[in-house]
Amino acid sequence: MDKFSVTIMPENLTVYVPQGTNLINAAKTAGIDIESPCGCRGTCGKCQVKIINLGGVDCPDSDYVLACQTRVEKDMVIEAPQFSRLTKHKVLLSSEEKESLLEHGYFKDVEVNPLCKKIYAELDKPDLTDSMSDLDRVRMHLMKNCGIEDVKISISALRKLSNVVREGDFNITLTIVTIKDSAEIINIEAGKPDSPSLGLAVDIGTTTVVVNLIDTENGKIIDSAGTYNKQSAYGSDVISRIVYCDENDNGLELLQKAVIETINELIDTVLKKNKINKSDIPVMVCAGNTVMSHMFLNMPPTFIRLEPYVPGASKYPVVSSKDLGININPDAKVITLPSVASYVGGDITSGVLSTLMSKSELLTLFIDVGTNGELVLGNSDWMVSCSCSAGPAFEGSGITCGMRAMDGAIDWIEIDKESMEVKVRAIGNKKPLGICGSGLIYSLSEMLDSGIIDRAGNILENGSSIRVRMGNEGKEFVLVFAKDSGSGRDVVVTEGDIKNLIRAKGAIFAGIRTMLQQVELDVDAIDRVYIAGGFGNYINITDAVNIGLFPDLPADKYAYIGNSSVHGAMLVLLCQEALYEIEDISDRITYIELSIGNKFMDEFISALFIPHTNLNLFQRCGV
Amino acid sequence: MPVQTIKERNAGKVGVVTIGATQEQGGTRTSVVKIGGESSLPFLHFEGEMPNKPVIAMEVVDRVPEEWNDEVKNAFTGVLDNPVAWAKKCVEGCGADLIFLRLQSADPELGNKSPEDCVKTVKDVLAAVGVPLAVVGCGVDEVDNKIIPAVAEACAGENLLLGFASQENYNTIVAACMVHKHNLIAQTPLDINICKQLNILITEMGLTADKIVLDTNIGGLGYGIEYAYSILERGRLGTLQGDRMLAMPTLGTVGFEAWKAKEANVSIEEFPGWGEQKERGILWEAMTATALLQSGLDLLVMRHPEAVKLVQKNIADLMEPSSV
Repeated sequence: MDKFSVTIMPENLTVYVPQGTNLINAAKTAGIDIESPCGCRGTCGKCQVKIINLGGVDCPDSDYVLACQTRVEKDMVIEAPQFSRLTKHKVLLSSEEKESLLEHGYFKDVEVNPLCKKIYAELDKPDLTDSMSDLDRVRMHLMKNCGIEDVKISISALRKLSNVVREGDFNITLTIVTIKDSAEIINIEAGKPDSPSLGLAVDIGTTTVVVNLIDTENGKIIDSAGTYNKQSAYGSDVISRIVYCDENDNGLELLQKAVIETINELIDTVLKKNKINKSDIPVMVCAGNTVMSHMFLNMPPTFIRLEPYVPGASKYPVVSSKDLGININPDAKVITLPSVASYVGGDITSGVLSTLMSKSELLTLFIDVGTNGELVLGNSDWMVSCSCSAGPAFEGSGITCGMRAMDGAIDWIEIDKESMEVKVRAIGNKKPLGICGSGLIYSLSEMLDSGIIDRAGNILENGSSIRVRMGNEGKEFVLVFAKDSGSGRDVVVTEGDIKNLIRAKGAIFAGIRTMLQQVELDVDAIDRVYIAGGFGNYINITDAVNIGLFPDLPADKYAYIGNSSVHGAMLVLLCQEALYEIEDISDRITYIELSIGNKFMDEFISALFIPHTNLNLFQRCGV
Repeated sequence: MPVQTIKERNAGKVGVVTIGATQEQGGTRTSVVKIGGESSLPFLHFEGEMPNKPVIAMEVVDRVPEEWNDEVKNAFTGVLDNPVAWAKKCVEGCGADLIFLRLQSADPELGNKSPEDCVKTVKDVLAAVGVPLAVVGCGVDEVDNKIIPAVAEACAGENLLLGFASQENYNTIVAACMVHKHNLIAQTPLDINICKQLNILITEMGLTADKIVLDTNIGGLGYGIEYAYSILERGRLGTLQGDRMLAMPTLGTVGFEAWKAKEANVSIEEFPGWGEQKERGILWEAMTATALLQSGLDLLVMRHPEAVKLVQKNIADLMEPSSV
């Protein structure tokens, strides 16, 4: 097969790819990731690039083409603009970064009992009267001095045992991982420990992946790193990724590889930075939604999206890192936290664990504002959950000028009610390229308040004249004119975008109302609301209530809890009992299937209005 | 054993909408129609008030409705090409409470009549009959947004009932009703939430609730009437519980829906088991009307004089005060 060169500007990186490769994959080869929320179906229009030279001929006035639909047939020079790239992502790592987790409320009545410990042992030396094997010597020591019975040992540890024991003159450090009362020696070092006992907590999000490195002795986060999930190249939401798995022969392999690669890169970064050996990581706890967990473990996710929506498993076995290709100690234990149902996964059970809501009498509403829109309502007596499929609108997908929360994304706007002047702020103080989720919430709220749209989301003609106009897809409102934007294009909000956003917020609110109806409680019965998800921290509560995304409760009932998924994973690392508890949580949560009956549909339609059809539900916000 | 009648205490009631205006009120009508005002479920006179009986508006079209069933057309032989005479026949011959005039010929594909011509038709009908008028357009938004405001302006003072406002297209017609003081039909697709949303959008523009009549869309007998029934019932229950954004009188295009059904149209030769078509068609329309009266319809838009007669009798019976 012929190979052609593809040069990507402005970096001027050249790669050689086989004929017929699409430009997304070509760019990938060069280490440049291009957005593809639709999974290379050519429907989202987010992967636009310019061809500036084709087969040696300059194309000075070329239009944008879709990278996923353009195949390499000649040597090419392309320009990949900023707005088509997956660049450094604003990833929320942890709200208690660098603080000791031992301060967490969870440890008020539970003792710290990490999954992994380092034990320094001075073994009795063998002689002709004491010719016990090296392993038995270790086991005897652990039984006598540490009360650890029946310890197992990994094969790689066993292989080096005899040498290491003698190297340290029978003084050794054992790294022991205990999962559900079953202890296993994962690593052995000669002499005294030269590094603390370590563990990794990983949140595998649909959009972003976060890795935290924990010192399991003092509960401190040594370091953390986050980036976008490389699976994004195959679709921005779980459904399009499942479809990708189903429609491509090696789809599942590619998706698993992508997420493992993402995790490995983050681990590498963290370990290198902190000068830690791979073999020093004996355990990793992963939290992800059900689809992410399936793909992570290389389990086919096909039936998750088919009626009656059954996952392969909701509790997952402990796996060795070498079986998954995770770049840490090959015998390290990888724990995948349990799910509830197809669309309420380990990230949610993990979040519930970290909020302590399952231990409290207070009625708590847990909202994960994300693509899947998982909700949990309950307390120590009962818990219900649902997934209201809000869609990726809040991640900027499916929105004309939508983008993720990265540099250049508008995350705050204000419209002057009289002059219709628009003030915007973009992340990183850059020129605006597009709008991210929180910016969209501000836009909706501000456009309603200034009379640019009506409560149904129609753009009114009598709004400000120069900013309201007909676009390709109906009416649109210009937030930033091309001359002030970073992309050289107008940043607009179209009527279609508004309807999309209304559907997203309507889904979340309808989910909340449906859950409340199931247990016959009023909104006012909710004692507190926890907003989870990386995106949660950028939402302004007043505006979110103003558009009807969240219930109209006093602001002091709301709390941002950040990435509660990774938080729960860290708690599990620090407490063996937490693993039992999270399985208990996963068993106790009742999943509500929203597609049954007409309750949700009815609530959904009534929430497709700003803030809501029943304005009485939003009296506090002064409607 | 003494039995106590159980009566529901209702917090809300349906608002009253007045259609038409007499000379003293600035119009030229000889009578006005009031609908709504109920403070109970339909015809439960012992429990609340039902000050205004449901009324029947008969449908008149400004072009010859070739597509209508012969049985319906036969009832209007000689007047079908003349909306004025047709309207007169409805009022004098059938006792219609209102005329429901459809300006279909404004449709670019059905005559493309100008707003001026449409206004003239409305004026002529107004001159010929003394009952109040409901006027609706041809169903093409861009066209209706021209003809309905023209009618509203030319007939200022007559307090017409104008339609249709929908969630996609309501600004122009609402503004016309506000400026020229007419009533409005708010039309929504069989969904109580969208119905309520449209009412909020309209009232937020400034048109008061007592100028709005709801067309929640009905399905004819055998073709979704149960959805229409439960929507109207939910609307009434909501109203009685104090939801003011649902507390408007309701309208149903009974004739239009009933005569769409195959059962109303096919002959006995084709379907011997179904009986005579004439009687069947009339009853199909009358049954649709009577069932929906039970769910709280206030204004029935009908076609066939015989069906109208049957429903008038039914309404008269239902309005008799009950013994309890």
